[in-house]
Amino acid sequence: MATVTAVAPRAGERPGLLGRAAVRKLLLLAVAAAVLVPFAAARWASGSWPEALTVDVSGPLAGASDWIIDNRDSHPLFLYFFGHVSNVVVIAVRAVYLALLAVGWAGVTAVAGLVAWRVAGLRLALGTAVAFLACGLLGMWVPTMQTLALMVVAVAASVVLGALLGLAAGLSDRMDRVLRPVLDTMQVFPAFAYLLPVVLVFGIGVPAAVLATVIYAAPPMARLTSLGLRGADKEVLEAVESLGAGARQRLLTARIPLARKELLLGLNQTIMMALSMAVIASVIGAGGLGDRVYQALASVDVGAALAAGIPIVLLAVVLDRVTAAAGANTDGTPRPRTHWLYVVVGAAAVAVAGRLADRLEWPDGWVVAIAEPVNRAVDWMTDHLYSGVPVIGGTADWAARFTTWVLDPVRDGLQWLPWWSVLLVVAALAWLIGTWRTALTAVLAMAGIGVLGVWNPSLDTLSQVLAAVAVTLVIGFAIGLAASRSDRVERLLRPVLDVFQTMPQFVYLIPVVALFGVGRAPAVAAAIVYALPAVVRITTQGLRQVDPAAMESARSLGATSGQQLRQVQLPLARRALLLAVNQGVVLVLAVVIIGGLVGGGALGYDVVFGLAQGDLATGLVAGAAIVCLGLMLDRVTQPTERRAKKGA
Amino acid sequence: MSRATSATPQPSGTTADPEGGPPVFSVDGLWKVFGPKAERVPADPGLTALDPADLRSRTGCTVAVRDVSFDVRKGEVFVVMGLSGSGKSTLVRCLTRLIEPTAGSISIDGEDVRAMDKARLRELRRHRAAMVFQHFGLLPHRTVLDNVAYGLEIQGMGRAQRRAKAAEVVAKVGLEGMEQRRPAQLSGGQRQRVGLARALAVDPQVLLFDEPFSALDPLIRRDMQEEVIRLHHEEGRTMVFITHDLSEALRLGDRIALMRDGRVVQLGTPEEIVGSPADDYVRDFVRDVPREQVLTVRTAMRPASSADEAGSGPAVRPDATVSEAIEAVARAGSPARVLDQGRCVGIVDSAALLSVVAGTGTLAATEPSTATEPSTATEPFAATEPFAAPEPSPAPEPFAGTERPEGAV
Repeated sequence: MATVTAVAPRAGERPGLLGRAAVRKLLLLAVAAAVLVPFAAARWASGSWPEALTVDVSGPLAGASDWIIDNRDSHPLFLYFFGHVSNVVVIAVRAVYLALLAVGWAGVTAVAGLVAWRVAGLRLALGTAVAFLACGLLGMWVPTMQTLALMVVAVAASVVLGALLGLAAGLSDRMDRVLRPVLDTMQVFPAFAYLLPVVLVFGIGVPAAVLATVIYAAPPMARLTSLGLRGADKEVLEAVESLGAGARQRLLTARIPLARKELLLGLNQTIMMALSMAVIASVIGAGGLGDRVYQALASVDVGAALAAGIPIVLLAVVLDRVTAAAGANTDGTPRPRTHWLYVVVGAAAVAVAGRLADRLEWPDGWVVAIAEPVNRAVDWMTDHLYSGVPVIGGTADWAARFTTWVLDPVRDGLQWLPWWSVLLVVAALAWLIGTWRTALTAVLAMAGIGVLGVWNPSLDTLSQVLAAVAVTLVIGFAIGLAASRSDRVERLLRPVLDVFQTMPQFVYLIPVVALFGVGRAPAVAAAIVYALPAVVRITTQGLRQVDPAAMESARSLGATSGQQLRQVQLPLARRALLLAVNQGVVLVLAVVIIGGLVGGGALGYDVVFGLAQGDLATGLVAGAAIVCLGLMLDRVTQPTERRAKKGA
Repeated sequence: MSRATSATPQPSGTTADPEGGPPVFSVDGLWKVFGPKAERVPADPGLTALDPADLRSRTGCTVAVRDVSFDVRKGEVFVVMGLSGSGKSTLVRCLTRLIEPTAGSISIDGEDVRAMDKARLRELRRHRAAMVFQHFGLLPHRTVLDNVAYGLEIQGMGRAQRRAKAAEVVAKVGLEGMEQRRPAQLSGGQRQRVGLARALAVDPQVLLFDEPFSALDPLIRRDMQEEVIRLHHEEGRTMVFITHDLSEALRLGDRIALMRDGRVVQLGTPEEIVGSPADDYVRDFVRDVPREQVLTVRTAMRPASSADEAGSGPAVRPDATVSEAIEAVARAGSPARVLDQGRCVGIVDSAALLSVVAGTGTLAATEPSTATEPSTATEPFAATEPFAAPEPSPAPEPFAGTERPEGAV
């Protein structure tokens, strides 16, 4: 039995080695716990976070918030800095918006289509034009233009800011060491966490929405710019230097052009993140499509939400595909392209024609109202599918059962656990997967939540995250496994994953409300649907990238399919699987928080409540807790390798 | 044959007195040490005596280039050869300070390279020394033409002018018709031609090659070597050529510096390296070289008597290879006369030629020359002068006479 002798020792040895290290860590932790826990339990005996260790920050925060509101029109900081920033943003968004309206619907569609043609080819050009026309048909032309105007300004600012930061980090090692952990960490935080600090300074309105979007969307540009500059082929740079190029020549003629692919990928990611945030920022006054969805969801008007949600999805898909196509075409094989001149002339001709025909606004007669029929369908669903369907029950039944059988026990269990044992579990998990540094960060973040005095709502959010992550991972790994083993499954999945991954988080709330009503279960469902594509994709890639030679040798030794999976594929794909868990957790958290808008409660609700009531202190505390929770969850699931690679 | 072409590219006018002109590059006592506080290592005899592992554990430093000295003469192909990790690539980068040397001196045309300021150094890289890289180092987003014109662009030349010049060079390296392609659309050999053209376009005094053909297939590599030989033949440009491939070094080099662990262990003509290895390492290295293709008949001939001088038989040049002489002797069935400008300077017979092939006959093999620096005798061009003298100079071939016993004609 060659299989046994060849594979078993290795398979037996690796876990053994890992196991010893893990046992050592756990023993150390147990010793530390044995010393500290009796002390802590005796001193602050309570299941929940002890009152004595809480710092009430809402008072000072409310004071700060009031001070800002009182001084916004008088203090020099606001008059001479934030005031100008705010004005510039308002003017810029307004100018773009007016320009879009002045070009007219035909002109905008033509410009978009021709630009898509130039950078991405005929098919995407047609798709783009159809998408814009669909926005008009749904009666969403004006909100689409509002969102677009906000996006244009925010993306431009993000790209400039991100590229400058990326340039600094790409050229200076010291800047890189400072910026990289900050940018990495910023990508972990849910979008909601950024809203309140911005609102605190700028108040609710377009400037706050644009700036929140910029803060959210600039990091990927900065990261990828730096990555591109650093990843340039060393020998090319040496060759350029050997020809006597100066520093500026080197940057302009070699480093930046060589980083083109990463720069365009950064642009793509920035646009997608900006769209996602521009929609979410409707809760702080962004207006446009997001606002329509937000208002419709507030009154559980699924039809209206869908009418505004479809344009968001179309916009997302079009923007993603066109910018991705621009980035993909960098392998040095030029293909015939329409000249920019034709693009400009064509667009101008259509715009002028529209103006002459006095058809700038989308004609009312062309609007297809889908809200009514959709709502009728939803009503029918509510009547027939919500409950009482024989044998399988109804969607509302499922939601209720999920809440009572899964969410409630997990939440209650977490809240029942003594606070120190929660910290202990966090420490143990983070240390086992990562290093003592990640463990320390995770424990401090978790403790920070307690200190802020939002222990219970945070554990509520955490319970939703855990339930959603568990479901996501089970389904995601299963699908990923299937896709890695069958090309047909992967081919079928790919377009679905592509579309799902481009959709902004906010949009996922619409179908779940239609299916499950409001509450914690729909929030969890939205989170699962949102996180699933990334988990499936990373799992599939990880399993497929397993060294074919190793697989072949296992096969040649006569390993069964199951043995190959257990003994070769899974161990070798360990890193990818851990990354999938990490990404799953981060994405789930983002949507669970937004779930506060559809009855998810807990921290997300606190943020929304704080915004709606003007009680910024509550919102800010919840926002800080979200940041802590995000940090904790990321560090707990962060594999050692990734941490080590960062060289933090 | 290849030896013959590469050894005689100089129009006699420019190298009438090869010792007279100053060297293009003159390297003296060059050190490159990587690691913390590297500069203390060359200065401290206690440290330099350590072997690499000890040095590393004591100081954290690694010596890449260790006390290297040599001159590169105008118009020659100077090959630096060694296995990977021997410091040859570091050495060539030190010449234009792409890597900053730790100690020692480098001068180009008598000007101290290490003392140059930034502007002067840039001027050196732009106009005087251009480099060809192992993995080509082309800019993937530019066309072939713009890649070749890149060096001129860096110098600030106008677009039309630099493109015209680049087009000329592109034609010279045999890439006509491919000007508008991108590097990704070219084969490896074609890419390296672009790399070569880019270096040639700036019309440098010296071409530096860093293992330019190592990444190419054997057949393409041969083509490219022919190309370099041809270019050198046409232009007589000075070249410093780094390689780890002994046969490449022997094909191209006028002189070869053989490096090991950062040191030059032997410096000499290909004939000297093969014929009289300086130590066991070199001997090991050249063991499999077909000696008859490297050594010249000068090694195998005995002095001509007056009878020989008048006699008949095939004639060979003194710098013909032994294998060429074998062919001539085999064809004629009689010993060949070695004629230098019409004078008979020696006789080679089949026994002497055979002993070269067998590696038994040459005295030099058993009596290694200790010369690690060039002497007059090793100078390939110098050879033509002494042999013109009435009596054959005994200096380079002291053993030629002792070969006689079996040489009965």
